[in-house]
Amino acid sequence: MTARLTLKDITKSYGPVQVLHGVALVVQPGEVHGLLGENGAGKSTLLNILSGVIGKDGGSVEIDGAAVQIGSPREATAAGIAMIHQELQQVPELSVAQNIYLGAALRRAGGLVVDRAAQEAEARRLLAPLDATIDVTAPVRGLRVAQRQIVEIAKALRANAKIIAMDEPTSSLTPKEFERLVEVIKTLTARGVSIIYVSHKMDEVFRLCQQATILRDGRLIGQVPIPQTPVAQVIETMVGRELAHASHRSFATDQVLMQVQGLGRDTAVQDASFDLHAGEVLGIAGLVGSGRTELLRLLAGVDRADAGRIEVLGQQPGNGPRARIKAGLGLVPEERKRDGIIRHRPVASNIGLPAMHKFTRLGMIRKAFLKARAEELMREVRLRPFDVTRPIGSFSGGNQQKAIIGRWLASDTRIFLFDEPTRGIDVGAKAEIYDLIEKLAAEGRAVIVVSSEMPEVIRVSDRVLVMREGRISATLGPDQITEAAIARNAIPA
Amino acid sequence: MTRFPLLSRIRFRDAGTLLGLILISLVFAFKSDVFLTQPNLINILQQSAINACIALGMTLVIISGGIDLSVGPVAALSAVLGAAMLVAGVPVPLAIAGALATGAFCGFLNGALITWGGLQPFIVTLGGLSLYRALALIYTGGQPIFGLPDGFRAFTNGSLAGIPNPVVIVAVLALLAWVILNKTPLGEYFMAVGGNPEAARIAGVPVTLTKLAAYMISGLMAAVAAMVLIGRLGAAEPTLGTLWELDAIAAAAIGGASLMGGRGSILGTLIGCIILGTLRNGLTLLNVQAFYQLLATGIIIIVAMLIDKATSGKQGG
Repeated sequence: MTARLTLKDITKSYGPVQVLHGVALVVQPGEVHGLLGENGAGKSTLLNILSGVIGKDGGSVEIDGAAVQIGSPREATAAGIAMIHQELQQVPELSVAQNIYLGAALRRAGGLVVDRAAQEAEARRLLAPLDATIDVTAPVRGLRVAQRQIVEIAKALRANAKIIAMDEPTSSLTPKEFERLVEVIKTLTARGVSIIYVSHKMDEVFRLCQQATILRDGRLIGQVPIPQTPVAQVIETMVGRELAHASHRSFATDQVLMQVQGLGRDTAVQDASFDLHAGEVLGIAGLVGSGRTELLRLLAGVDRADAGRIEVLGQQPGNGPRARIKAGLGLVPEERKRDGIIRHRPVASNIGLPAMHKFTRLGMIRKAFLKARAEELMREVRLRPFDVTRPIGSFSGGNQQKAIIGRWLASDTRIFLFDEPTRGIDVGAKAEIYDLIEKLAAEGRAVIVVSSEMPEVIRVSDRVLVMREGRISATLGPDQITEAAIARNAIPA
Repeated sequence: MTRFPLLSRIRFRDAGTLLGLILISLVFAFKSDVFLTQPNLINILQQSAINACIALGMTLVIISGGIDLSVGPVAALSAVLGAAMLVAGVPVPLAIAGALATGAFCGFLNGALITWGGLQPFIVTLGGLSLYRALALIYTGGQPIFGLPDGFRAFTNGSLAGIPNPVVIVAVLALLAWVILNKTPLGEYFMAVGGNPEAARIAGVPVTLTKLAAYMISGLMAAVAAMVLIGRLGAAEPTLGTLWELDAIAAAAIGGASLMGGRGSILGTLIGCIILGTLRNGLTLLNVQAFYQLLATGIIIIVAMLIDKATSGKQGG
């Protein structure tokens, strides 16, 4: 059988830095092929070469046995390659049908007028096997991420794509939506479309893929059959070292650090009440949209509660992030780029931002002192590359996360609020973040972890609050934390 | 270079602006005998002083993610109110303080509408552009205010060790602005709020106060520029300061300020002002018609931005 796609000896350098060293990738027709590797392994570069966004320095691309030149996104589309980006590239104000036909509008009247009716009919036909509930005349703006993804897939089918590359497609999907995606992928592969599936989530890779190619530091490590290869072996191959499977240790004490009573905002969060103890890691589980993130934002003062009260060590803190930070709370947000980092500023500035008064004398910032403190904090968490004067935007997601955690350590934060602490972070850095959370607890701080990944919640938490439709539906003690118990309380009746 | 990449990058950008200035100066030095003489160079600085004053405040506003189109009319309003006080016999320091307070208050008003009012900076200051001009015109009935006391004029027309006082004043203000931006928490807040307002808020930055401070400084700087100008002219016209905002934005942009916010350089802005001043001075020395001077200014701004774009891409990698 001729392979659908064969990449051979692909090399790419940015200036003196070689990012791909002779990488190969072979994908069969109708196959779901995992592309695995830590952040910085070269997955994105490879996908960008495949979709014509960047040029390669060397190597060859063959589709169905014939050599093809891919010099631009247009040529990639013509060759039958489509890419579903993590951040969907759509025009929110245009309709579903218009987005599907973006750049390739159907025309009538001698090409002068866009034939909307024909586009809509075709779009409906394309969407029928994928998700018939999507209204092709509605603007994309109003769709959920999962639906927008399906629209993107329909667009790929419209362009007769033979190879669809999906970059972290499930990073903002609920479990139910993931199931929907699984069905869609099956429909596609049944038609002979090949899928390149990039994900950090091993359970998904093992569910969907038949083969996986593993990259590390821009080199091809190997291709392994899935699911025959054990998960642990795949992960070890990816990171090049064995991950410590540390069993959970609890540092929870009886001392109540924070009391939350009847906290609420609209219908997003209703009547949330719980205590948080020093040294405790409190997990918050639940589906996307169940109010987990919203609850954290209320605690951090980012949004204003319209009901209930909070006490930190018996004191009621004021409103707004500044007052809450003063009271000892610090938010490590899910959307690092949007809510966390100041991209162009050095790591040291990002760390010092909430506690400038500590680094200021006579109105002037003590830069050397700030740098020394930042280095001290970042040495402990192994910031890579170790240079706190570099803009934070030039670091990988995991290292940015370390800097944001460092920010709150520098501010003497006692209550850490983590929202999806390992989203978009590779497997190796994940373990480091877990270690950090444990260390925070060991130091007598309290930690709240919101996470969509059940293994994560189960691994880090002493206690788990499960949220459902804005309310806390269950509190699970140390010996009650199981996937089944979380799922039972998370899913609406 | 490698140990402090950020530091070297900022210096790299300022060095680029400086190189541009040197290139332009070389051309004029070859074409004109007068250009490189000391009186002419001092003349350039003096002619650039007013724009520099405005551009310093503008740079801080731009870095904090905003824009201030109202600087010219704010200067005009401060000028006529200050002049009216001076003519009425109010002691000079008090009158100057009154004018500066006017500028700062206008800036406060802009900032208040932007922060508490939640309006776009472009629109608010565009409104201010008309509003403050109208107030200046209404107050004076459109007539200039003459007869400023000599005691006041002596201050702006004097010099220190051969350097005209306006240049000295701007140099001191630039040093202050540089210290604020690079050495104080407020400067860090300007860059944080301009770089990512939501992240800054979550990190506990007092976003509202930071923005208010930027616009108040901008208004204050406009009032300082107004005082320098009416001291030199001896009269306060309600129409002064027309199109000042554009020169100031151009200088800041040439100097490396990003209109997206979060980035900019005081030194770069200063050199940007001198580039614009040099261009006008040199072209006038070469008897180039005013229309062509305008053309040259436009080309310089666009070329500067193109070079910026081409080089910053490589730096970022």
